[in-house]
Amino acid sequence: MFNFDWLSGVSQETAKMIFLSLYALIGILVLILPTEYVYQGIAKEDRHWWNNLKLWSIAVLCILASIYNHF
Amino acid sequence: MLAGIDYFIVIAYIIGMLLLGLYFKKFVSSSEDYFLGGKSLPFWAIGMSIVVSDIGALDFVGVSGQAYRYGISVGNFDWVGSVPAMLLAAFIFIPYFWRGGMYTIPEYLGRRYNQKVRTIASVTWILFFALDLGVLFWASAVLLNVLMGWPIWISIVATAGVVGLYTYFGGITAVIMTDVVQFIIMFIGGFALVFLSLYEVGGWDNMVDKIATMGPEYRNHFDIIQPQDTKSPFPWTGILFGLTFVMANAYMIGNQSIVQRCLTAKNEWHAKASMIFGSALKMFIPILVLFPGLMAVVVHPGLADGDQALPMMIKSIMPPGLVGLMFAAFFAGLMSSVDSLLNSTATLFTKDIYEPFIKKGADDKHYLKVGQITTLVLLLIGVATSPISSDFPGIYVAIQTFMSYFQGPLFAILLLGIFWKRTTEWGGLSALVIGIGFAIYLNVFKEQFFTIEDPFLYISWWSFLLGFIINVVVSLLTKKHTEEQLKGLVFSSKILVENKKL
Repeated sequence: MFNFDWLSGVSQETAKMIFLSLYALIGILVLILPTEYVYQGIAKEDRHWWNNLKLWSIAVLCILASIYNHF
Repeated sequence: MLAGIDYFIVIAYIIGMLLLGLYFKKFVSSSEDYFLGGKSLPFWAIGMSIVVSDIGALDFVGVSGQAYRYGISVGNFDWVGSVPAMLLAAFIFIPYFWRGGMYTIPEYLGRRYNQKVRTIASVTWILFFALDLGVLFWASAVLLNVLMGWPIWISIVATAGVVGLYTYFGGITAVIMTDVVQFIIMFIGGFALVFLSLYEVGGWDNMVDKIATMGPEYRNHFDIIQPQDTKSPFPWTGILFGLTFVMANAYMIGNQSIVQRCLTAKNEWHAKASMIFGSALKMFIPILVLFPGLMAVVVHPGLADGDQALPMMIKSIMPPGLVGLMFAAFFAGLMSSVDSLLNSTATLFTKDIYEPFIKKGADDKHYLKVGQITTLVLLLIGVATSPISSDFPGIYVAIQTFMSYFQGPLFAILLLGIFWKRTTEWGGLSALVIGIGFAIYLNVFKEQFFTIEDPFLYISWWSFLLGFIINVVVSLLTKKHTEEQLKGLVFSSKILVENKKL
């Protein structure tokens, strides 16, 4: 049990899909955050698309997913 | 040994760091300035500081060595082992700590659970950080001794003098701003080594082809996901359960030296952005520390000790000038780790031990002075204990491994503390104590329980799980906290939707 033997039948490809699904899930969770919340701390008139932290997070997750997809 | 130009680069770097760090002395006039940089720092500086503090010179050597032995799967620690946890920290935990005006993670645990949990967590971190200091001083001294020819004791005093002076006077602002320069130097030196190594092996594709023909032990060298039955320490099950779900979160959310940096941000957006920016930078770290180890498989095949991979690559392919830069990058990694430990330990001692137990209600200047004196005392302890590393060469690994056993139970109580109202002080305390005890037990008898080489990922997962269950069970059996006691300490969707102040 301690060695996760019950997951020994899962192939490396399936395991990779589990990681990619995890990134997709995190991406969805980030996207459903209220926009007001991610801008908190910036005055309303200074809010632009480039300081939307949702976009930053999605970009980081896309790069991460592409690394795992490649290797 | 270094050439003349290399000496010049290294000495210019050391003096430059000292002067830059001392410049920030003028911004320190209160304990908030000293421990939280007056809550005035920008996200980019904090993000760089988080990354450079996390990766030290010892990791450069160690990770390259592991990449030499086990391949690209070592990169999981900076990719899946950092990015998801940093996003969780950025959007959920850091805003809580930042809005709550906290200085330390144990301070949150104290408010959420009780003083005992706060003290246990704080004392544990202080002990580990203090022990780590001696090890890092010794590592710096060995580097200076080997490359510059300076005697060991002069090297130790020189490192302690430079880092100690700017940390003592400039506090966390000096630590973070010198980290920015150290980050830039580390990236320039690291990428120079990667590009020269790639040239040496004839490009990436050529390297992959060559390694593929080197034998069956290199069959999985370019698989980031290792099978469950691998003998390496990185099976995908350990990476998912132990690293991604537990250790990464415990490190990014529960480590004082990481979180304290985010608390210095000038506003909540900068606090969140610092973690996300840091996560983007983190993805480059495997290129710097892992790729040279992979390329060494081609350039220096058959090394008995994988940790020789990086030094051998530097020695064989870097020209004069760049060797000095690479050494400065190593030294930057060490200095950034030492200054982080000094400042974070001083913060933990002053806020979690001195203020509640030794002198309550003193004026702010008094706590500023205590923080500075603690920095000085830690410096002396670090210098005095540094020779232990030469007597016990495995001590760094032992400290890091033991710290990893603390992470599972710590994350269990942090997670339940912030997401579950019903968690009680007795639940948290018993989860922490029993969870750490269980991790130690599994480590002592690891041969009986585990089949992989070094099961630290599995141990962190199982100790987290037990800590989680103990916390739930004991909490349900004990008296729950009142709404008033939990105000601003437990996650509520209202905070996201209505942006309520904590």
